[in-house]
Amino acid sequence: MIGRLFLAYAFSFSLCLSLAQAADPAKKTGTLSFEKDVRKILKVHCLHCHGEVGVKEGNLDLRLMRLMVKGGDSGPAIVPGKSGESELISRVVAHEMPPEDKHMPQAEIEILKRWIDQGAQTLHPEPEKIEADYLAPDDLAFWSFQPVKNYPVPKVKNSKRVKQPVDAFLLAKLEAQGLSFSSQASKTSLARRAFYDLTGLPPTPEELKLFLDDTNANAYEKLIDRLLASKHYGERWGRHWLDVAGYADSEGYNTRDAERPWAFRYRDYVIRAFNEDKPYDQFLREQIAGDEMVKPPYKNLNPTDLEKLVATGFLRMAPDGTGSNPAEKEVAKNQVVTDTINIVSSSVLGMTVACAQCHDHKYDPIPQNDYYRFRAIFEPALDWKNWRAPVSRRISIMSDADRKIANGFEVEAKKVLAERTKLVNKFIDRTLERELLVVPKEKRELTRAAYKTVSKKRTKEQVALLKSFPRIDRLSAGSLYLYDRTLVEQSAKATQESKELGKTLVEKIEKETLSKIPEAQKQIALAAKKADAKKRTEEQKKIIAAYPALLVSVSNLAKFDPKGAAQIQHLKDEAKRLTGLKTVAVLKKYADDAAKIRTKKPKEEFIRVLTEVPGKVPKTFFFNRGDFEQPKHELLPAGLSVIKSNLKQSVEIPSKNKTLPTTGRRLAYINYLTNGKHPLTARVFVNRVWLHHFGKGIVASPTDFGKLGIPPTHLELLDWMSHDFVAHGWKIKRLHKMLMTSTAYMQRSQRSNDYDQVDPDNLLYGRMPVRRLEAETIRDSIIAVTGKLKTDLYGQPVPVKEDEVGQIVVGIANVDTAGRQKKALKMDDRQFRRSIYVAVSRSKPLAVLDMFDAPKMEPNCEKRASSTVAPQSLLMMNSGFMLEHAAYFADRLAKERTGNKSDQVKLAWILSYGKEPSAEELKQSVEFIDLQIAQFKTTKVKTNKTPEQLALATFCQALLSSNGFLYLD
Amino acid sequence: MIHQTQTTGTHTRRHFLASSSMGIGSVALSWLLKQDPLLAKDPAIRPELVNKHFDLIPKPTHHAPKAKAMISMFMQGGPSHLDMFDPKPMLQKYDGKKFPGDIKYDNAAQASSTVLGSPWKFSKHGECGTELSELLPGLSEVVDDIVVMRSMHTSVNNHGQSIYAMHTGRILAGRPTLGSWLTYGLGSESENLPAYIAMVDPGGAPVLGVNNWTNGWLPSLYQGTVIRPKEPRILNLNAPPHLSGKAQEKYLDFLVKLNQRHLSQHPGEDDLSARIASYELAAKMQTAATEALDLSKETKATQALYGIDVPESAEFGKRCLISRRLIERGVRFVQIMTGNQHWDHHNSMRTALPRTCKRVDVPSAGLVKDLKQRGLLDETLVHWGGEMGRLPVIQNDAGIAKQGRDHNTYGFSMWLAGGGLKGGMTYGATDEFGHHAVVDKVSPSDYHATLMHLFGMDAERLTFTRNGAEQSLIDRQVNRIVHDIIA
Repeated sequence: MIGRLFLAYAFSFSLCLSLAQAADPAKKTGTLSFEKDVRKILKVHCLHCHGEVGVKEGNLDLRLMRLMVKGGDSGPAIVPGKSGESELISRVVAHEMPPEDKHMPQAEIEILKRWIDQGAQTLHPEPEKIEADYLAPDDLAFWSFQPVKNYPVPKVKNSKRVKQPVDAFLLAKLEAQGLSFSSQASKTSLARRAFYDLTGLPPTPEELKLFLDDTNANAYEKLIDRLLASKHYGERWGRHWLDVAGYADSEGYNTRDAERPWAFRYRDYVIRAFNEDKPYDQFLREQIAGDEMVKPPYKNLNPTDLEKLVATGFLRMAPDGTGSNPAEKEVAKNQVVTDTINIVSSSVLGMTVACAQCHDHKYDPIPQNDYYRFRAIFEPALDWKNWRAPVSRRISIMSDADRKIANGFEVEAKKVLAERTKLVNKFIDRTLERELLVVPKEKRELTRAAYKTVSKKRTKEQVALLKSFPRIDRLSAGSLYLYDRTLVEQSAKATQESKELGKTLVEKIEKETLSKIPEAQKQIALAAKKADAKKRTEEQKKIIAAYPALLVSVSNLAKFDPKGAAQIQHLKDEAKRLTGLKTVAVLKKYADDAAKIRTKKPKEEFIRVLTEVPGKVPKTFFFNRGDFEQPKHELLPAGLSVIKSNLKQSVEIPSKNKTLPTTGRRLAYINYLTNGKHPLTARVFVNRVWLHHFGKGIVASPTDFGKLGIPPTHLELLDWMSHDFVAHGWKIKRLHKMLMTSTAYMQRSQRSNDYDQVDPDNLLYGRMPVRRLEAETIRDSIIAVTGKLKTDLYGQPVPVKEDEVGQIVVGIANVDTAGRQKKALKMDDRQFRRSIYVAVSRSKPLAVLDMFDAPKMEPNCEKRASSTVAPQSLLMMNSGFMLEHAAYFADRLAKERTGNKSDQVKLAWILSYGKEPSAEELKQSVEFIDLQIAQFKTTKVKTNKTPEQLALATFCQALLSSNGFLYLD
Repeated sequence: MIHQTQTTGTHTRRHFLASSSMGIGSVALSWLLKQDPLLAKDPAIRPELVNKHFDLIPKPTHHAPKAKAMISMFMQGGPSHLDMFDPKPMLQKYDGKKFPGDIKYDNAAQASSTVLGSPWKFSKHGECGTELSELLPGLSEVVDDIVVMRSMHTSVNNHGQSIYAMHTGRILAGRPTLGSWLTYGLGSESENLPAYIAMVDPGGAPVLGVNNWTNGWLPSLYQGTVIRPKEPRILNLNAPPHLSGKAQEKYLDFLVKLNQRHLSQHPGEDDLSARIASYELAAKMQTAATEALDLSKETKATQALYGIDVPESAEFGKRCLISRRLIERGVRFVQIMTGNQHWDHHNSMRTALPRTCKRVDVPSAGLVKDLKQRGLLDETLVHWGGEMGRLPVIQNDAGIAKQGRDHNTYGFSMWLAGGGLKGGMTYGATDEFGHHAVVDKVSPSDYHATLMHLFGMDAERLTFTRNGAEQSLIDRQVNRIVHDIIA
């Protein structure tokens, strides 16, 4: 099974619906138009077969009003003014059209009818000619496809509240509604807000003090500078980017969900890029076309080239089942291409290009041809006809020097192994000879010859002969170890025989000797034999002297029966000889030696990259209905037509850049996207940064800037910021500082009735929102307050496993081949690393993250949800993770503020909430701890903790479960 | 306000609930209970930007409902209708002979055109005389209470797509499952148990895993909650012994104080109130779920009714009995799953199919009997069926012992009971070889429209707005309510 047991009985949930409900035209009075009301209905239901991509079934094209009047094989589709006589209406009403199981909703039929009855009006004259990729003028005019404008900063009445130009844009709209910004938040609130927004961690008491004690006017600005310089900034903002990139450490696609080694280097690249404040245009160029900026062959890479190649890991983030033997291989390959296009277009362009894979986009002006032009940009690297499986497309980053060293050791190891092979052959011969002993003499020579003949060349007789001696037949280097067991058995047998023979011979001599002794003396003889040598009587000594053989034993047998003794010795020698022939230990030593030599080799490591195979340029075809088995016409690489039309400049993406070994398509495309003129690149990114600071985007649908997305609440502001961002070199940290030092960001988050009356959803930004911490931030903060957080950066992912009750936890899996849990392995302190370093397994999401809405990468995450459900509460109340960390937290308090409950509470408060408790809070907390101590004193359940420790831990748990900890104000 | 007071004396959560008088209950629950569209008053603000709230309080229906809860036993893999539900004399006549027509195979490598007559005898049962095979002695005792549907079809010949069709109405991934639609449309009758429960088999989840109980694009509130096949049946439900009981109550009391003070500094923040309520609900759930899952109060006779006294059927029987306890306590939709490909008898059908039947036959019939004797059957819709049936010809013709049957999604059977349906009847028919449904065909959409109708809902009118379009379980497909089976 997929292995994830959801526990999601939710009792309440709030969701910001990012839906653009079309304003209800059924209720609209007045005149309907083709452009505004009708075309979109036809686009969804009809145009796929009647107009798009040159398809005109029944010779009917419905893309223009005049073509509808002209009609097709069945005559005019509409008769303006007479819906009752319009073929289109009667077909739709009769459910004949659209065909198959689809039918048009009644409300939409009503609109068509009314439009026809009103005379089938258009707003503008219709074009004379219409091409396959026809884009209607109203589609071209859509806001997000227009160039970014540098709007002037508006004038406001209360200019004192303007700290940054963004404030003016916001305040102007607030003032228009008779509103203003809220007052400034407290210093402690601002600190917590800034720490979480920039590092995803709570302030330490020392960091907090540094800021609170700083009474200079620029204290806050200095704090922002310190946080932007923190190494944890990259982890926080890298995580946001990894969401849109769809980062995962497993391949996904099918239930096998194989591990995806080396993906982490891309994750580290992203963290580094943010920490270094890499300009966004460069960041994108490296991710989309880093390989095209490096000269192949990709060997002996310098750090800069290595970085560029690792960056292309972005284009390798899609779920990829092609390495795990998928049932339908071609489907799996094409799915990787589809998902990659999906990731690029949603993250960088903020467009749902994927919707145009099977037909023209139903809502946005993206013809199906555009989808395959877009695909052509990536196809030389993602060539499904010449697919490279994950293992064969990675690049080794071993230097030639290291490789030389490695090869040297390999030669050495091979030498040892060659000696071993010689020995193996010798041992096989030896074993063969031994085994031949059971073959009747007359057949031995034939059997030996048969065995020595290469199996393919054996005659039928030889095969039959060998079959009757399976032990010889099966003898090989691989089975040699099994014959050790035979040797042990044979040796044991010889030993046993020697013992039995010894016993028999001794008994025989004893018997013979006794029979020689007269009856009267027999008792004395027997007593003498039993008696201790030193205590023998004279009489006994005498009889022994007369009959020395009375004292016969295996060890002195030679004296009395030299021949027998020799026989025994022979058996013993044979046993020893047989044991000495064992081969396993001898051969193992050679293998071990070789392995030991190999450990000295420098370790070979890899990077996951997207590259092209120079010289191989596949053709890209239009797939009918998105089906790769129905390729139609060829298409050449290009960006979206709608943007090209609006830019009014020729933007070419040549099929082959002659100056590069690769096609140069991606490089040309990303240069175009980052030339500062593209209407979407900067807008989409600036909107994302805004979203993570203010809780929602200016465009509330961050991956959909199209018609189904949500229009910007502040278009002028978005454009001003986008322009400013590009004009100042795409610098991200600068943008953070500008936003975080604005009046808007520094406001209080409290609601007021007066404000809520006008703007209950805070669309005008008259206050800051109260925001719940994200999944990773919750986990990281809990670990941070216990003092156990490991703050090292980068590296191999921390493993996750299914624990004995099926929850996914951090740990090293120890499961046998049948899937049974074996002994739990102790986890090292990697369990205290930040969540960004915990392996992202698509099928095994870490329970505590999954519960708090960590994204499922299928293929990437557009925007996180923030749910409030009872299972989260149960996790806070009862999960092993919480109880364990509450205990660590308590240990820290007890250690750092030994013996003083008030001081312990104060420290806990500062660590959890970033402020001191009030007198009342302090009193209640101490009371609670005392109450719990009394409670735990009465408990009969045995634990290894004192009541004081347990009580303090439940106090800590309460703080960590509380809203004050889980929310930012 | 609606606030249930616990009247039974010994609940350990009483103390915590008593703290509701401080106001936590009223703030949180009233938030939970309000159905406020929260439309913006300023027309300049687009209504779709508003945070919509979803909840599980009972909702009005389109018309008077007959069914109030549903237990679905999902037999993933494709139970062989030809050997259990749909007797075909022609199969016996042609047994071992060439099939006189076209067959749509799944596995060509093992395909054969030799007809396989059912190795099991069919006979009439009950007053109605419905014919069932000897593989179903348990079900044979309740034929007068069930409808055997013999004309189901999905017509996409593999498991995944057919499962999607049966659960979500379309053969595509990503859409909400039936249980999600029901809880979205109707809410829950229980305040402290999940509304939609998926009971997973020890043999693992069915094909498609968690997608069998996904909420798709409906809010995650409407996702199925998994009850695990082994203890702990619900993760994180209880604290370890030394922390549970009084100690946890005091912890929750203190947490309420912390959260109340925080809320007082942020009046009107619904999400903060909701989280306060979610702790209250979590605590109530601890008691309620523990009690609902405890079978020790059930008599030996009841347990025997579900086959719990027989090793082969004990595990499935327990899950059936838990299902009854859950719907008794107000849970809306319970789905009991069989393991991964449990019914996918491509091979060795003669030994494997009887074994599989033995696991579920008595428990599933016992469920119908028990619901009936408790007067719950009238309002509880019971469903038993998979995503496909099997072909009339042999698969893997490598000796009698190895024979099986390949997939058949063109005609198959399932049965339904209670919830306002007639009993003692069969509906629809396949062709004379049982390959294609031909008479009174029932598609997944027909099935969905019918059962939503029983719940008082018009399946096409129960919609959710997504990407600017009204989405429904039916999704504009042709559908009909099968009135002939409704009482």
